[in-house]
Amino acid sequence: MGQDILEFHDVTKTFAQAGRQDLVALHEVSFRISEGAIVAIVGRSGSGKSTLLHLAAGIDLPSAGRVVLDGLDLATLSERSRTLLRRENIGLVFQFFHLLPHLSVRENVALPAWIAGNPDRSIDYRISELLNRVELSDRSNDAVQKLSGGEMQRVAICRALLRKPRLVLADEPTGSLDDDNSRRVMDLLLHLARQEGSTLIYVTHSRQLAGLADQVWQLHSGMLEMS
Amino acid sequence: MTRFFLRTLLARIRAGKSLYLLTVGGVALGVASVLCIQIINQNSLAAFVGSVKAVSGDADFSIFGRTPTLREEIFPEVLAEAGVAVAWPLYRVDVSLAADPETFLEVVGIDLFAAAQMPLKPVRSDPEGGEHGKPSRSPADPQSGSLDAVLARAMTTTGWVAVTPAMATEMGWQEGDTVRVSSGSRTAELIVGALVDFQAYAPLASRKLAVMDIAQVQGLLGQPGRLHQIDVRLAPDAVLDEVTSRLLERLGPTVRVVTPEQREQDAAGLLASFRLNLTALSLISLFVGIFLVYSSVQASLVRQRAEFGLIRSLGASTRQVLALILAEAVLLGLVGTVIGLPLGYWVATRNVHVVSATLSNIYLLQEIDSLRLSATLYLLAVVIGIGGALAGAALPAVDISRRDTHSLLAAFTLHERTRHVTVRLAVTAVALALITLGWFLVWGRDVRWSGFLLAFMTMVALPLLTPLFIRLFCGWLPVSGIGFAYSLKNLMLRLQTTAVALAALAVAVSMLVGITLLIGSFRSTLETWIEGSVRADVYITTQSWVRGGQEAVLESALLDSLRADPAVESSEWLRQLRVQTGERWINFAGLAMDHRQPRYRRPLLVGEIHEVFRRLRQQGAVLISEPLARKESLAVGDSLAVVTPAGVTHLAIAGISYDYSNESGSALVHLSTLERLFGPGPVNNLALYLHPGEDVEKVVDRFRARFRHWPLVIRSNQRLRTDILDIFDQTFAITRILQAMALLIATSGISLTLIILARERVAELALYRSLGALRRQIFRIFLGEGLGLGLLGLGLGLAGGTTLAAILIFLINRAYFGWTIRPAWPGGALLQEMVTILAAAVLASIYPAVRASRTPARELSREDL
Repeated sequence: MGQDILEFHDVTKTFAQAGRQDLVALHEVSFRISEGAIVAIVGRSGSGKSTLLHLAAGIDLPSAGRVVLDGLDLATLSERSRTLLRRENIGLVFQFFHLLPHLSVRENVALPAWIAGNPDRSIDYRISELLNRVELSDRSNDAVQKLSGGEMQRVAICRALLRKPRLVLADEPTGSLDDDNSRRVMDLLLHLARQEGSTLIYVTHSRQLAGLADQVWQLHSGMLEMS
Repeated sequence: MTRFFLRTLLARIRAGKSLYLLTVGGVALGVASVLCIQIINQNSLAAFVGSVKAVSGDADFSIFGRTPTLREEIFPEVLAEAGVAVAWPLYRVDVSLAADPETFLEVVGIDLFAAAQMPLKPVRSDPEGGEHGKPSRSPADPQSGSLDAVLARAMTTTGWVAVTPAMATEMGWQEGDTVRVSSGSRTAELIVGALVDFQAYAPLASRKLAVMDIAQVQGLLGQPGRLHQIDVRLAPDAVLDEVTSRLLERLGPTVRVVTPEQREQDAAGLLASFRLNLTALSLISLFVGIFLVYSSVQASLVRQRAEFGLIRSLGASTRQVLALILAEAVLLGLVGTVIGLPLGYWVATRNVHVVSATLSNIYLLQEIDSLRLSATLYLLAVVIGIGGALAGAALPAVDISRRDTHSLLAAFTLHERTRHVTVRLAVTAVALALITLGWFLVWGRDVRWSGFLLAFMTMVALPLLTPLFIRLFCGWLPVSGIGFAYSLKNLMLRLQTTAVALAALAVAVSMLVGITLLIGSFRSTLETWIEGSVRADVYITTQSWVRGGQEAVLESALLDSLRADPAVESSEWLRQLRVQTGERWINFAGLAMDHRQPRYRRPLLVGEIHEVFRRLRQQGAVLISEPLARKESLAVGDSLAVVTPAGVTHLAIAGISYDYSNESGSALVHLSTLERLFGPGPVNNLALYLHPGEDVEKVVDRFRARFRHWPLVIRSNQRLRTDILDIFDQTFAITRILQAMALLIATSGISLTLIILARERVAELALYRSLGALRRQIFRIFLGEGLGLGLLGLGLGLAGGTTLAAILIFLINRAYFGWTIRPAWPGGALLQEMVTILAAAVLASIYPAVRASRTPARELSREDL
């Protein structure tokens, strides 16, 4: 294992609720994740799993404590810097895939490169390679609506890995899939992450899928228990 | 349901402030646009009616000549007619003020001792100071302010004139002040004898109205022994038709008898084309506004669909849902109307002077002094505002209310539906266009309003073609990044929203381009006409010519003096009268020249110029203008029936000329013919040709110095051309306002659409952000979409506008104004407009783009990407 890529130091995140007490989503969570590690986070709905990923990606900021990504305290960075940091270092996989229906399979995978301003020709090979690895090379020009749920998530994984991120955050990547597809997609995600040398943190309800990770952490009412 | 409506309304408004604001703004601008034109239209007639009432009071009818003036001798004959209770003669002349030659007094000469009169009750400034000299009625002063005393002074003081307090305040006049005026080359000094509030009697009467003793007006400023009008009040038991029939029989065919209502109808007829065209243009803004309402209501309904699904599942009927939606539209319309009313009034107030100048210069009617909002205009505003809002809301409202509960609760996309109907909409547009065109070619060529129908169908077809246009234009674009092509592609993906905004913009741009092409072509044609017609080096007329017309004459001694100047090689002089042909009043001019051939270089519409002038000189023939030929269906070989003091005379038509000076028509004869028909008289205008080598501007300066004490307007050829084009530009100034308002509404549509898109695409934008897109990248995507809408609107608008221009130039203009306009392509003006439209589109996109760029990545937790 290499140096720490992500650190949480006493991170608390609360959300204001009109007329009610603030909701504590995370409570004094601390951990360090080394580069190349694969960590699964399990917990019930509302336990703060998605909040943790949002904080890790710099999408949100903690109410207290520090989130350090690659040595940088995210709270000290401007919104723009956090966005650039996310663009260059993080790949995201979502439960509901979040593919753009008006783009083809290939174009959906290319989206992070488009946003980063990479010319098409520089990423053509990479896209083909990734689609080939997830066995979707023959569907690259199809509309994404034509794909099954499992295929859609494979496209989303390709999109997340396109720019070789150092950290991949996956928020219930199999939450919308049946058991067979869940296992297949998870295997693929772990395999690709390992091949690419990316750190992977994924959130799941499934103890079985969590067991595929190097470490399994549990979130319970906003508090992290490391096993 | 009412409680539900009110409880949820505020929440909806709070959630979509910008959306509601833009919609209300669109309705308000639409209302303002139509209302401003209707205020001006109604008041242009009201000004005329006000003056009629102020001058003719409660006369039952008036007698006018069919020739320029009436003989004074007929007045006793009118008085002697059975059934005539009272009659009083009038002599009217518009005079120019020496202190401000652009300002005129409408002097009415009356018989001050006639039994029935104008309201000559003097109003005087409060000697104690009052409110800044504001006139107020004072009790009659037995010494100086009584009516008898006023009348006595009016009869005995040379130049005594009663003016309105408003005019006195404006010019700084007080009783006893001397005012120097001119009628033609004659000048006179008038003495402000009394301040009379004619506007208290007839609120819309012109503040420029002035009253004098009739004999003094005739002697000082007009023609002794002549009258312009005799007003008559009937005896209580007299029957109007019987008395007028007997009078017409007694006085002969050279007079006409008209009631105040007929005079109003005549004026309305004179202004009909002008008013109709302005109304049609203003309706385009309303049309564009309706698209805005459509777009907004649709977006609002899509967001509320689950809410409607819920109330349907709780037992609400289809009708109740429809009522809820339409009630909101009515409310929007009402708020739009409340804002649009004062806005329309304000725009009318700010622009009334340009329309007023057109009424005065082109139609020779009264200027509009003040604007009144009548009850009918209030009602019109409400009907337009609420009607427009309901029209815009109707389709989406019916669509949503008809959906069953299940489909309301399920997510659905409007855009997919639109994609399916794009071809059907386009086929409908083409079918409509072909049917209308077919009707026109087979039956409609001679139907006067066919141009309006074709223009209307163009405006209807254009929006129907819009979705297909977007698909064709944006569908093939290769996308390889989130640049401009990506923005354009996005427009295609949300057709139901973007197509409506684009349709609104396309209609507005069509109007903009159509009118610009019309004005540009007209101006170019006019320039060519001026080039051929305005050939002399120096033009001389009088300061009162603009308003005074035939009364503004040049004294013959002055004429001789000018012609005899050593710098002058040759000259032309012209006398112009207003005469009747049929029921139409036309300018009837007699021209003489001391060179052998006319110097004009303009080609005639029909006839060869030298041959036509030979016939004018030798055969007493007439050259008529194109509008007159078109409106009276006259051709070379026909004859023009002109009413002269001796009766109706028929003049052979030798040619037809292009003429853009007025739309009612004009005719030109040789001066000798005019004198034969109407008797000798002084001329109105003089054109001088200088010897080669003379410096025109220097000669003009020398003439101005030499004749500085004369109320003359001495202009070089170049100056006259500029002045003509200035009047032309002024005539179309109000059109520019309408164009701007339509464009403003359409660009509001772009803002509205992009705000809707920013809301609909929150999840998509959040995805971009979570993938590392910077705010400025999102900003650029939206700016690109706004620019794309602008470009597409420009493309469609150019096509629609060119069609509209062709219809305006070849059909509407010819049918209503009778002018030949040669199409021209005013590149500079069009380029300027294109830049303006694109800039407006980009500006309209900034706020939505900023809003979109602020979408946080955490919004991605939503499922409905």
